[in-house]
Amino acid sequence: MSEIYELRVNGVDYPVTADANRNLSGVLRDELGLTGTKEGCDDCECGACMVLLDGQPINSCSYLAAQAQGREISTVEGLMDRDEMHPLQTNILECGGVQCGFCTPGMLMSAHALLERTPEPSLEEIKVGLSGNLCRCTGYGTIFEAVAAASKVEKVEP
Amino acid sequence: MRHSEPMRRFVRADGPEKVTGSGRYTADLTLTGQLIAKFRYAEVSHGRITKLDVSAAREVAGVLAVLTQDDVPDLRYGDAVADRTLFARDVVRFEGEVIAAVAATSAQAAQAGIDAIIVEIDELPAITDVEEALTEQSPLVHEGWADYESGWGCERNRNVASFSSISKGDAAAAMNTADHVVSSRFVADGSHALPIEPRSVVAQWEGNKVTIWTSTQVPFKARDGVCETLGLPSNRVRVIVPHLGGGFGGKCGFHFEAHIAALSRAARRPVKLVFSREEEFLAPDRRREGIVFEVTSGVMDNGDIVARTGKVVVDNGAYTADAGFFPQMASMHLAGPYKVANVHIDAHLVYTNHQPSGSVRAPTAPQACWALESHTDELAAAIGMDPVDFRLRNCVDTGDEGVVGQTYDEIGLIECIEAATGAAGYGRTELAADEAIGVAVGWWPSFPGASGAYVKLEADGSGEIITGAQECGTGSVMTLRQLAADELGMDPEDFQIVYQDTAAGPYDAGATGSQTLLNNGRAVQNASRQIAGQLRQMAADRFEASPDDIVLGDGVAMVVGTPDRSVPIAELARSSMNTELLLGHGSSAPVDTPVLRNSTCVGDMGLSAWIGPQFSCHAVRVKVDRDTGVARVVSVHAAHDSGTIINPIAARGQIEGGVVMGIGQALSEGTQYDERGAQRNAALLEYKLQTAADIPPIHTKFVEVFTNDAGPNGAKGVAEAPNVATAAAIANAISKVVGAPVRQLPMTAERVWEHSVGNGEVAS
Ligand code: FES
Ligand code: FES
Repeated sequence: MSEIYELRVNGVDYPVTADANRNLSGVLRDELGLTGTKEGCDDCECGACMVLLDGQPINSCSYLAAQAQGREISTVEGLMDRDEMHPLQTNILECGGVQCGFCTPGMLMSAHALLERTPEPSLEEIKVGLSGNLCRCTGYGTIFEAVAAASKVEKVEP
Repeated sequence: MRHSEPMRRFVRADGPEKVTGSGRYTADLTLTGQLIAKFRYAEVSHGRITKLDVSAAREVAGVLAVLTQDDVPDLRYGDAVADRTLFARDVVRFEGEVIAAVAATSAQAAQAGIDAIIVEIDELPAITDVEEALTEQSPLVHEGWADYESGWGCERNRNVASFSSISKGDAAAAMNTADHVVSSRFVADGSHALPIEPRSVVAQWEGNKVTIWTSTQVPFKARDGVCETLGLPSNRVRVIVPHLGGGFGGKCGFHFEAHIAALSRAARRPVKLVFSREEEFLAPDRRREGIVFEVTSGVMDNGDIVARTGKVVVDNGAYTADAGFFPQMASMHLAGPYKVANVHIDAHLVYTNHQPSGSVRAPTAPQACWALESHTDELAAAIGMDPVDFRLRNCVDTGDEGVVGQTYDEIGLIECIEAATGAAGYGRTELAADEAIGVAVGWWPSFPGASGAYVKLEADGSGEIITGAQECGTGSVMTLRQLAADELGMDPEDFQIVYQDTAAGPYDAGATGSQTLLNNGRAVQNASRQIAGQLRQMAADRFEASPDDIVLGDGVAMVVGTPDRSVPIAELARSSMNTELLLGHGSSAPVDTPVLRNSTCVGDMGLSAWIGPQFSCHAVRVKVDRDTGVARVVSVHAAHDSGTIINPIAARGQIEGGVVMGIGQALSEGTQYDERGAQRNAALLEYKLQTAADIPPIHTKFVEVFTNDAGPNGAKGVAEAPNVATAAAIANAISKVVGAPVRQLPMTAERVWEHSVGNGEVAS
């Protein structure tokens, strides 16, 4: 049965018409056209679909879209501030933390949530913060460096 | 060779779209009127189809097409051995084999169509033991094997799809003269390439032409597969690869493009396929092969290796895909980068009812290196020599003759050993009893091949590279900008790249065999040089100078040594609109393969003599909990001779990614089968990739040796080599702690624990 409801994504309210059992990643991608959120498994195992719900990272493949009503959903498309890239985005590029890029949106969202709650993470905290996101390309080290570098950038900014 | 500085801080050209979420991957595409495809799989590993009835499926609401082998040209395809059909015909040979395909207006309707297909299969005993399958008594995986054709001239017999041997000197006689003879046996499980993007294909017909968007590493190969199996000329099939979410070999070859193109033609609608993770595990014909190794070496008291014999049995799975060359590649790796005068190795690629094997990042090499390097530590122990000293004594160096009689040009293996062991503090570091540093050496060829590119400068002075090359994440296509910029005295940022479209760029073999920079790099250089020649001529005309006296740099063309006689390249580009357009085309010229002496190779697939061989040494510190068998990598020091490093950030990314894949292969990644040949761990949670939490510090050192027969500016390949020696080095560290080599790969906690107990190290 289709349901009609609203989702708030990156500060924009979207009307949604979708079956009640649709997952959030599917609705974001297929109904709202926000394909930056990726799907690597549909089973909570890879983190490619990571988005933030009221600032908390969740695997959107395993979350019912209808349950996200009334909450603030953040996806990779909302990371930029107008035309300015987020420090995580510039640093992950400069550190070489992007290869195929398929894990990147999910990585960025996990890292974003980590820096919000732990502005100066230790290497261990970065590793734990990203442990729900699989990357097959980079070996992770350059991504750790990018998160550490971005945390410093965020710190010096007022 | 000096490189333009901007690339030293390399930001990939496809970076902005990848970090903002605006870059499109195949599964992100949606076409108007698009249908969804689903496959019906065999679900049994071996059986005879007694009934296949799709009539009810065709009646399901929303289903617009249902296809079986009856609906496509009835031919067998496959480069190495033509043993495969698009859909199973009469017999199914592995669980992920496609029997039928459905296209429907929604995923639910497509699934309902799949469920309505009536399939009855008489199950046959699954042939799962690769050594039994090699025997004369074994039942056959392919009853009709003798009627198949082999485009590569594979030496075949019954279940053996390809046999190869390498032979030099008289191994049996030399073995008799050795002071010590050591024999070892090792068994490596198969594993998966496992890109994070599950594959996706979208096809759309317009008139008699089809466009296919697909997540392939090899667009031209995918196109050729469609043309062959559906009977179409090359110029009516266009393959476009949007951004590719990783491949590691798993997306090489021709897979499901023809199924989706055929569905789209039958339904008269665009059709889209997106694999689930489980399908990505079970259906492709590119998983890393399981291999059984037996190796015997004769050594003298002084440490010289005088003879080596071996037997390699590779699990081909149900169909040959591109695995025809695996026996020769595995033989080379079991022989190793050593000076051994007498060698004989036999290698067999054997059909089973497992998922087909195919090229995954350095096919056969990590397993063979793991076996050989474990064996090498056993040899060193037999004569009481330090394993690193033993390698330094026996490894090939510049001017040495290797295992198949190739004499090596300038190479840096000895430097790699010194660099890796030195940086790791090998022999100098106090280690706890549960820690050790293991060392292994590896090698890997560079693959020359035909490859083309165009370069053009627009009227505003911006440049475009139109290449047939494919980017799979490594950054090698991104690096092409730097090569064009260096030739034209421009900035890499001045160039855009058009790539991954068979209708736009000239032929290229794809993101396979670490060949992109090696071959396409030369093509881009050649194309750029044509434009450089045009620019020099234009500037020379303007300044009444000789073209030879014009230098291109910093965006200007200048008469050498006279800055006041210079003109911006952009200005020349603008004026080219009134004369001759600035267009270049380039192709990589094939390189002659090195000459071999004193050796013979049966079933030669051209892999005995290596152009631009890459060498490496990994020194890995490992901690082993002997009570549980859990091994943890503490640090990795990797030293690589990959020739000149053109793009340091991308190259480092390849080493680190390859090392981490190697750690996974060493400790956790391995396909487990049940007794009926079905995969038991076809899910990420059970298969166990390395996660961020597992990652040790990885230190990379490039030993930049200049080799003439390599790619642009002396570059060799770099993407596959780091995968080769990692598992081997970890194995040697574990063996030091537990007292004996773990003879199965992956070296899981259970297996390590069993060895530990078996050696009386731990009270049971
Ligand atoms: S797609 Fe959600 S965790 Fe993999
Ligand atoms: S960059 Fe490819 S999976 Fe992370």
